[in-house]
Amino acid sequence: MDIIAARELTVGYGRAEVLRRISFTVPERLITAVVGVSGSGKSTLLKTLAGLLPPLGGGFDFAGCPVDYGSEASLSALYGQIGVLYQDGALLNGLTLYENVALPVRMRYPELPEGVVRDMAHASLAQVELADSAEKLPAELSGGMRKRGALARALVLNPELVFCDEPSSGLDPITSHLLDDLLLRLRDSFKMTLVVVTHELRSIERVADRVLLLGDGGLRFAGDYADLAASDDEFIRTFFLRKDHHDDA
Amino acid sequence: MSGAKQVPGPPETVVLPKRLKAPEIVAVLAEIGKRTGNGTVTLDFREVEEFDSTTLAFLGHLTDCLPGVAAANVPDALVRAEAGFARRPDGCWPEKPAVAPTGTRFGRFLQSMADRFLNRVRTVGQFMAMLGDEVFHIGNFLKTRKGVYPGETWNQIFFMGYKSYPIVCVLLFLVGVTISITSVEQLKLFGADVYVADLVGYAMLLELVPLMTGVILAGKVGAAVTAELASMTVLEEVDALRTMGIVPTRFLMVPRLIAITLVVPLLVVMADVAGIFGGIVVARLSFGMLPATFLDQMLNTVDWSDFTWGLVKTVVFGWAVVIGAGFKGLTVGRSAEEVGRATTESVVLSVTLVIVLDCLFAFVIY
Repeated sequence: MDIIAARELTVGYGRAEVLRRISFTVPERLITAVVGVSGSGKSTLLKTLAGLLPPLGGGFDFAGCPVDYGSEASLSALYGQIGVLYQDGALLNGLTLYENVALPVRMRYPELPEGVVRDMAHASLAQVELADSAEKLPAELSGGMRKRGALARALVLNPELVFCDEPSSGLDPITSHLLDDLLLRLRDSFKMTLVVVTHELRSIERVADRVLLLGDGGLRFAGDYADLAASDDEFIRTFFLRKDHHDDA
Repeated sequence: MSGAKQVPGPPETVVLPKRLKAPEIVAVLAEIGKRTGNGTVTLDFREVEEFDSTTLAFLGHLTDCLPGVAAANVPDALVRAEAGFARRPDGCWPEKPAVAPTGTRFGRFLQSMADRFLNRVRTVGQFMAMLGDEVFHIGNFLKTRKGVYPGETWNQIFFMGYKSYPIVCVLLFLVGVTISITSVEQLKLFGADVYVADLVGYAMLLELVPLMTGVILAGKVGAAVTAELASMTVLEEVDALRTMGIVPTRFLMVPRLIAITLVVPLLVVMADVAGIFGGIVVARLSFGMLPATFLDQMLNTVDWSDFTWGLVKTVVFGWAVVIGAGFKGLTVGRSAEEVGRATTESVVLSVTLVIVLDCLFAFVIY
C-alpha cells in the first residue's frame, strides 16, 4: 500500500513554483530517497509533504486520506502520523536531550503518567544509542549525536512515516555511514517507512529502495533504485556520471 | 603606468611586464582608458611569464570585448591556459542589466507605493490574526491547562521580572529625580513648590511609570523574545514544533504572556515606589520638605484609581510588547541576518505600540 499519493502537485514559495504538477507515490515500509541537485526542490517538497508549506496546486493523500491545508484537523491528523528529522536536528536548545525527546509525548498526551513518558523517551534514545547522553543539552552534543537525538524525537511517538532532511549533511563519512545503518535498521526491524531527502549519492545507493529524482522543475524519475541505476535517460546518466566522479575523488 | 612600458617604435604598442596579474592589469586598463580615440592599442605579451586566472580572463576579454585593443605575441603557455579557461560561452558580459524598467517613472513610483501599502495591510492583518490567536490560546490554556511546557512560565517570570526590576527601579528613580528638579524650579517662581509632591505622584502613577516601564520592557524583554523566537524559526525549531503537533503560537507565546501579566504589577509597584522616592529626595534636599509631608500632600491628589489605571496601562503595554515581539520573531525569514533585523524592528514596533496605546488611554482616562 502507498502511504503517500501525490497528484499533480505544484510546490513553491509565493508565486515562485519550484516543482510543477508532479505525481508520485511513496510505498509503505520502504525507504524512498528524494534526490536531486541543490535547488531542485527536494526540501520544498518535503516541507509540503510534512504539512509546513501549502501546495500551490494539486494535492496529496496521506494513508488514504486527502491532506487539506485549510483544515487544522487535517493537518493535526497528518502531524500525528509523521516524524521529521531536520537538517540540523532542530532540537530545542533550552531543553536536555531527554526533555527534547519527551516533548512530543508530553505535549500531545499530557494525561500520560510521567513514568510512561520517561520509558518511551528512554526507549527511543536507546534505539539511536544515546541513552547515556539523555541529560546533556544540545550544545554539548556533536553534530552526529544531535541528528540521532532528533531522530529519537521523531521516532518517540511511533509515527507511520519519518521524513529525513539531508541526514548526512555536515557529517564525516563514518558518522554518515552509521546514520545510514540506523535508517536501514528502522526499516528492517521496525517496518518503518522513511522518506530521505538527500544529494549524497553513496547514501542513496546504500539505503534507497525507491527513488524520486527531481530536476528542471519536475519529477525526472520515480521508481526502484535498480531501475534508476540501469536507466539510459541522459539526465539520469549525467546525474550518476557525477556520482562516478565524486566516488573517484 | 606601473608595470608596463612603452617601446620607442610604434607609439601605440605597450609591452606588458613579466608578471601580469590583477594589479598590473588594473594599471594596463588605466593606460588603455587614457588612449581612447588614439587608434588601436596593441598589448605585447612577449615578456609575460607569471600569470593567473585574472590574466586569462583579461586576455579573453580584450580579444572579444575591448574595441581598439589587440593582443600580440601571446606566449604558447598563456594561449593553452586561456583555451582551457571556462569563460562565458556566448561572448561578453553585458555592461548593464539586460532588463529595462517598464512604464513611466511616476507609474513605477505609484506601483511601488501600492505594493508597500498592500504589504503593510497584509502585515497588520497577520498581526491582528496573531492577537486573536493569542487571546484564544490564553483562554484555552486557562480552561484546559494544556499546550504549555511545564516550568516554562516560571522561567519567563524569572527572566522578565527578576532580570528587569533593577533597571526599571534605577531608571524610574532617576526619572522621579529629574521631574522633581525641573518642576521645583518652576513651582518656586509661584511659591507653590509644595505642589511638587502632587505633580510627581500624579505623573509617576498615571503616566511616567507605565510609559517608561513599557519602553524598558520593549528594549529588554521585547528584543530578547524576538531574538529567541527568530533564532528558533531560522533553526527550524518552530517547524519541528509544528510537525510534532505542537502549536508554536501557543507553546511559545502563552508562557510569555502569562509571565508578563504576573510580572508587570510587581514591576509597577516597585517603579512607583522608586519614582516617588526620587521626588521625595529632591524635595527634601531642595527645600527641606519632610517625606511624611510629601506623602500627605501627594495623597491629597492621587488615589487608588490613578494607581489602578497605571497598572492596567502597563499590563496592556506589556502584552503589546510581547505580542509585537513574538509576531516579529515568528514571521522572520530564513537567514541569520534577518534575526538582527527582526530584533531591531521589534523594538521599534513595541515602542510604537506602547506610545499609540498610551495616547488612546489618555482619551479614555481623561
